[in-house]
Amino acid sequence: MNSKIQNDIKELVEQQVISQEVASSIEAFYQSKKVNTPNRLFTVFGVLGSILVGLGIILILAHNWDNFSKIVKTFFAFSPLLIGQFLVGFSILKDKSKTWKEASGTFLFFAVGASISLVSQIYNIPGDISSFLLTWILLCVPLVYLLKSNALAIIHIVFMTYYGVEYGYNFLSTSDTPWFYLLLLALVLPYYKQLLKFKLDTNITSILNWLLPLSLIIVLGAFVETVSVLGVLMYVILFGLFYNIGKLPIFNNQKLRRNGYLILGSLGTVYMLMLTSFKWMWNDLLRVELVYNSQEFFITLLLFLIALGVLAYLLSKKFVVKYNVIHYAFIIFTMVFFVGLNSQIIPTVLINLLVLIIALVTIKVGADKFHFGILNYGLLIITILITCRFFDTNMSFVLRGILFVGIGLGFFLTNYIMLKRQKRRNLK
Amino acid sequence: MKTTYLFILFLIVVAAQIIVPTHMIFNREDVLNTGIAYKFKTKPIDPSDPFRGKYITLNFEVDQYITEDTTWVRDEVIYVYLDIDSLGFAEVNKISKEILPDIDKDFVEAKVNWYAGYSKELNIDFPFNRFYMEESKAYTAEVVVRENLRDSLLQNVYALVYVKEGESVLKDVIIDDIPIKDYVEQNELENE
Repeated sequence: MNSKIQNDIKELVEQQVISQEVASSIEAFYQSKKVNTPNRLFTVFGVLGSILVGLGIILILAHNWDNFSKIVKTFFAFSPLLIGQFLVGFSILKDKSKTWKEASGTFLFFAVGASISLVSQIYNIPGDISSFLLTWILLCVPLVYLLKSNALAIIHIVFMTYYGVEYGYNFLSTSDTPWFYLLLLALVLPYYKQLLKFKLDTNITSILNWLLPLSLIIVLGAFVETVSVLGVLMYVILFGLFYNIGKLPIFNNQKLRRNGYLILGSLGTVYMLMLTSFKWMWNDLLRVELVYNSQEFFITLLLFLIALGVLAYLLSKKFVVKYNVIHYAFIIFTMVFFVGLNSQIIPTVLINLLVLIIALVTIKVGADKFHFGILNYGLLIITILITCRFFDTNMSFVLRGILFVGIGLGFFLTNYIMLKRQKRRNLK
Repeated sequence: MKTTYLFILFLIVVAAQIIVPTHMIFNREDVLNTGIAYKFKTKPIDPSDPFRGKYITLNFEVDQYITEDTTWVRDEVIYVYLDIDSLGFAEVNKISKEILPDIDKDFVEAKVNWYAGYSKELNIDFPFNRFYMEESKAYTAEVVVRENLRDSLLQNVYALVYVKEGESVLKDVIIDDIPIKDYVEQNELENE
C-alpha cells in the first residue's frame, strides 16, 4: 500500500470521518490486493535486462570472430538459443511468475536472432536484412501466445515495423510492397483483442493503443509504389479511420492519454489538411497521373470502406456528436480530392474552409465540455491555418499584424470567458 | 493439463527455431562438400549490417551479360550457366529464365539486377556477393585490394564459390592464393 493512502486513512480517522474499524478493513483490503499484483518493477527490469543481454550477444557475435573454427562458431550460434529455450520451457512447465515468463521470452527472442545471424555469417548467406527479420519474427510469434507475454507483443510490433520500413522504403532503388507486414500485423491482433477484452485498463493495453496505429502510420507509405498522388489520400483516410476508431466507446470511455487512435487520428487529420491547404500541394498532385487500376487505388478503396464502416457503426449507435466535422473529414477530403484533380483553386479553398470548420467545432466542443485542452487545440488549429496562409497570399503586413493580434486576443478572451463560466457553474 | 498442452506447443516452436538455422547449415554444408568449386574474379567493398556485423560486398567481373532479350524484370529469378575460361576463372555460358534440362553444365540461381537497354547488358545479382569478416578487417581488406588493384599488382582476387544444382555457397575470398583474412593480417604486419 502506498504511503499516501496510509496518510489519508490516518487523517480520516483523526478527523473522525471514518472509524478505526473501517480504517483497518480498508488497510486489509489494500494489503490483500498487493499480494495479488506481481512486482511490476521487477518484471520491467527483467525484460530490460533480457533485451540488453540479448542485443549484447548479437553484437558480440557480429564481430565475426574469424580465428574460431566453424564448429566453435556453430556452437556459439546455438548455445544462447538452447539456453533461452531451456529457460522458457522451464517457466512454462513450472508455471513460473509473470516476471520469469516475460524475461525468458524476451531473451529467447534475441537468442533466435543471434543464432540465425551467426549461421548466415558462417556461411556467407547474403539475404538482405528484411528477409532475415521476417524469418526471425515468424519464429518467435508463437511465444507471444504461449507465454502471454506483453514484452514480446511490444517487441513483435516494433520489429514488424522495422521489417516494413526496411522492406518497403528503399531509397536507392525501386522499393517493394511489404505484404508480409500485413501477415505479421494479423498475427498479433488476436493478442491485442484479448487484452482489450480482459485487460482494458492495464498499461500494456494503452501502450498497444499507441504502438499499433503508430506502426501503421509509419508503414502505410511503403504501400505506395508508383501512384504517389494517392499516398496523400491514403493517409487522410487512415487518420480518419483512427479518429473514428478512437471514438468507439471502448476507447473513448478511457482517459484521453490512453487513446492513441483518437489523438493520432485528430493530429494526423489536421496535419494532412494543413498540408493540402497549400496551393502548391495541389499543383504537385495535379502533375502526376492518377491510375485507377493500381494497388494504391485498391488499398485506398479498402481503407475508405473500413473507415466508412466504423463511421456507420458509430452513427447507428449514436456515439457521434452530429456536427463534429472531423468524423467526416476523410469523406469530404476524398470528394474534394477527386473533384479537385481538375483545378487547383477549388480544392485549396474547400480544404481551407474544412480546416476552419473543424477548428470552430473543436472550440465549441471544448466550450461545451468545459475542457481547456480541447478549446485551445481548436484555437491552435486556427492559428496554424492563418500562419500557413501567410506563405501563399499577398496580404499587407498591417493586415497580417491585425490578424495575429486578433487571434491572440481570441485566445485570451475565450479562455477567460470559459474560466468565468466554469467558476459560475462551480458556485451553483 | 493445460501446462502440458502449452509445453507441447512450445516444443514445436523450439523445434522450428532449431530446424531453421540447422537446415541453413546442412544445406550449405552439402553444397560445400559435394558441389563444384568455381573462381569468380571480384572486387570487394565494405559495408555493414546492424545485426550480422561487417562484411565485404563483392562485385564480380562476370556480372554483366550481353543479351538481345529485353524482357528481364528486376528481381526475377534467373539461372546462370557457368563455364571455365582458359585462366581457370568462371564465366557465364548462358542465362535462362527456366532450368534447361538438356544442358550439361553447372548453374547458379541468381536474380536480375537490371537490364540496360542501350548497351544490351543484363546485370546479374549473384546470391554470393556478401562475405562476412571480422570487423577490424573488413575495411582494411577493401583498402588493400583497392590499392593493389590500382597499382595492378593484383591480378588474382577471386571468390571461391561452390555450386551444386543451382545452389551456391561462398567459401572464401582468395587474394594471391591465400584467404583474404590471412592476406589482410600479413599486410597489417608489413605496415607495422
